[in-house]
Amino acid sequence: MNINWLSVLGIITTPIIAFIVGVTYGGLTRRITARIQNRYGPPSSQNLLDIIKLYSKETSIQHGVMQHLGPVFAITASITTLYFIPVIKNSVVFTNLSFNGDLIFLLYIMVFGSLGMALGAGQTGNPNAAIGVSRGLSQMVGYEIPFVLSLVAIMTQFHTTSLTDLLAVQKHFADWIIFQSPLAFIAGILAFLGMMGYAPFDVVIAPAEIASGPPSEFGGKYLALMMTSRSIFTFAKLVLFTDIFLGGASDFITLIIKTFLLYMIPVLTGIVFPRFRTEQSICFFWKWPLVFGVLAILVVVL
Amino acid sequence: MISIPYILLIAFAGALLSFVIHHIAPKLRTPVALLTTVLLLYFVWALPANSLINIKIGDFILTWGTTAYGQLFGMLVAVLGFFTVLYSTDFMASKERLGYFYMNFLFVIGGMLGIVYSQDFISLFFFWEIMTWSSFMLVIYCCKDAQSIGLKYFVFSAIGAYSILIGIVLLYSSMGTLQFKNIFGHINEISTGIKISVIILMIIGFGVKSALMPLHVWAPDAYAVSPSPFTALFSGALSKMGIFGIGLVLFKLAAHTGFYSYVQYTLAWIGGITALLATFYAIAQTDAKKLLAYSSIGQLGYIIVGLAIGTPLSIAAALFLAILHAIFKSMLFMATGAVYMRTGTTNMTEVSGLIRKMPISFVTALFGIITVAGVPPLGGFAAKWMLYESLIQSGHYFLVIVIFAASTAAFLYLFRYIFSLFLGQEEKEWENVKEVPWTMQIPMILMTIFVLVIGVFPGLLLDPISSAMQYLNVKPFDYQMSVLFNNWGGKVDMQIVVRSIAAVFILLGIFITIKGYRNTRYVTTKDIHTSGEIPTENENLTYAVDFYKPFERSIAPLLKASIDKVYTLTGDIFEQAFDYLRYVYTGNGQTYAMYVVLFLAILLLFSELIFGIIL
Repeated sequence: MNINWLSVLGIITTPIIAFIVGVTYGGLTRRITARIQNRYGPPSSQNLLDIIKLYSKETSIQHGVMQHLGPVFAITASITTLYFIPVIKNSVVFTNLSFNGDLIFLLYIMVFGSLGMALGAGQTGNPNAAIGVSRGLSQMVGYEIPFVLSLVAIMTQFHTTSLTDLLAVQKHFADWIIFQSPLAFIAGILAFLGMMGYAPFDVVIAPAEIASGPPSEFGGKYLALMMTSRSIFTFAKLVLFTDIFLGGASDFITLIIKTFLLYMIPVLTGIVFPRFRTEQSICFFWKWPLVFGVLAILVVVL
Repeated sequence: MISIPYILLIAFAGALLSFVIHHIAPKLRTPVALLTTVLLLYFVWALPANSLINIKIGDFILTWGTTAYGQLFGMLVAVLGFFTVLYSTDFMASKERLGYFYMNFLFVIGGMLGIVYSQDFISLFFFWEIMTWSSFMLVIYCCKDAQSIGLKYFVFSAIGAYSILIGIVLLYSSMGTLQFKNIFGHINEISTGIKISVIILMIIGFGVKSALMPLHVWAPDAYAVSPSPFTALFSGALSKMGIFGIGLVLFKLAAHTGFYSYVQYTLAWIGGITALLATFYAIAQTDAKKLLAYSSIGQLGYIIVGLAIGTPLSIAAALFLAILHAIFKSMLFMATGAVYMRTGTTNMTEVSGLIRKMPISFVTALFGIITVAGVPPLGGFAAKWMLYESLIQSGHYFLVIVIFAASTAAFLYLFRYIFSLFLGQEEKEWENVKEVPWTMQIPMILMTIFVLVIGVFPGLLLDPISSAMQYLNVKPFDYQMSVLFNNWGGKVDMQIVVRSIAAVFILLGIFITIKGYRNTRYVTTKDIHTSGEIPTENENLTYAVDFYKPFERSIAPLLKASIDKVYTLTGDIFEQAFDYLRYVYTGNGQTYAMYVVLFLAILLLFSELIFGIIL
């Protein structure tokens, strides 16, 4: 059996790069938020330091096997999602498994982690965790609809369900899908706001209401693994959106610029908005984002 | 030796025997029933592919034969029949009237096997009625409200049966034959009006069993009150008979007519709306069995969509989902039955935290919900993937959104189901709950393994499906043992998916278990973060009532609209109408005598008009 060592390199390094980028973005977000609110804020390496600290902690408690495996489910989904997304265009190292990538598949594998996480949070018996999960799943029904509308519009327009083919379509700046199909982009980016879970859509975590909800019973190594997973998953989602709408990236610098700009959309929106109630949040996605999504499809079909 | 009459004979003889033996040697009734299903399983499995039997009764010829399509469903019935009877042995052990139970149970199985092997409409209808009647008997077997719920089921079944019957009569009167081989493919010999009526009537008839909206109202209640082993068979196999029939009508009758695309389009949208609304209703349920019942209705909606779209990939997806739904819904009903057996309730607001007491049931339920949700790497994903791809590629842009909304919303009720029963606070009330006996565990474990294997090798199931599709005159589609393809050249290789998920999961699972293994200790679910307050022993920390209140608020208008109310209104109107009819049927012998005289007089007066002769 031939082992392609470049692929092995990619499989090992991709999650690590994703983790570092994701965790730095998290730290930067805290700092940016602080500066906008006229505070000094923590250093941008704070999140990384937190995670290292949590990994080095000794004592951990667990409520049973499902809680024990919950974070593992989450990180498995994050890393697997990342493997099926082309991180760098036409790169041998960072192709990973993306040649098999398919948008419908990605939609489902992305849910895998949330489901595992929800089960883990469920076993802790913390009512706040259960409330958080119930909110999270409800909100997911909200934003998945415009997101799928936007994806269906794009898939129909370019007659492909593969992410690699979509990248091949967007060779030049003017070919980016954001310009070819702006309505789909609007629907997609509004859904993206919900997906990232920043205010006004932070009903799941809702720190002042339900004590950070699902993760509230996780500490030590579990929290560390969850934070790692969250960083990787954030990066994976950003790369996914960059690949779909912004033409992907041929090198890391472009990738970082594009993903960072994309990341700032939910972050900056979050800073200026208070939190929605859950039903408001759901209904939000079923109004304008839905209209844009339907229009995007109609434009393609007609 | 192994032929269709023997199969039917075994089923019906076993049924009668288990009833008789209940009164002679009660201990033997369960082994008899079990033996019957084992024999059925073997006979159905070993049945030669081209068996054909003609039986002449009067002017009619009854034909029974095997087709790849029938065999697909036949195997499903036989396997599920065996599993559910095995499950019954301990589940029903302490119940009364077991002879009655097993007799009807085996009658249902026999009826279903009869349906799938029928090659003419008379046998089909005959076995259809056997199945309906004996399932009605099982719906009214126990529990409160069984009478009125049974009546609802009966009324709808009767509507369905008469629709099929009128359809059959219309076919016979215009074609003079009821043999499948003379009707299929020759449908265009009759006039368009009759064609349309036959197809609509048959779809209504089969649609009742597959709980197609708006004919679904009997299903949630009937599923909820029937005993759990039967619910597993009811939702798993019995509802698939409706799908079986709709498949026949669509591809063998409607496909040859000029208005096929209209039938397809209407049926697809009805299926899509069924899927969405049933999912929303499921979210609002508090009873686990009712939740699963609505979930079944929703899943059957997907199957109808797949059949109605009519591209090879979508039909494959529909049949795949039909088989898989039978398995995973039986798993879920069995897990629920296990909970019911040990706690005496299926109310999700009462039971909680059974995971540590009933690990096998939990794992079954977990694999069940992952399969329903369609999350890789289990079998459900392949079905969902094929369905979406075929919908998008055949240009059903808005239907795919409806279906997608339904299956995303399905996560809500699935999580609620598993959370309420197995996760959450471990309460004192359920401290002494034990795992169910091994006879109930075996079917659950086997089916869990099945969904796992099908997830990695969907081709195992796609092989019989593609030969069934050949019988339905559908073009073949591309697939390999573990690779699925779509029409635009996309593919998903399940091997790679499963391997990467397994590798990462095992690696990190080992990491988190080893790291600080000694220091990681178990704490109870009372020992949680409650912002400094220490919960007392009896403090209720379970979050189970109104689990999805915010979501229900946002879909409130949809939940309010209930087709059940329309039927109740219709029922009231009829009741009032019959009140007037009572003036006619006075119950007085004198009045009836007068009617007879009047009728004769009318007959004499208008005989020429009616019969063409003067009496």
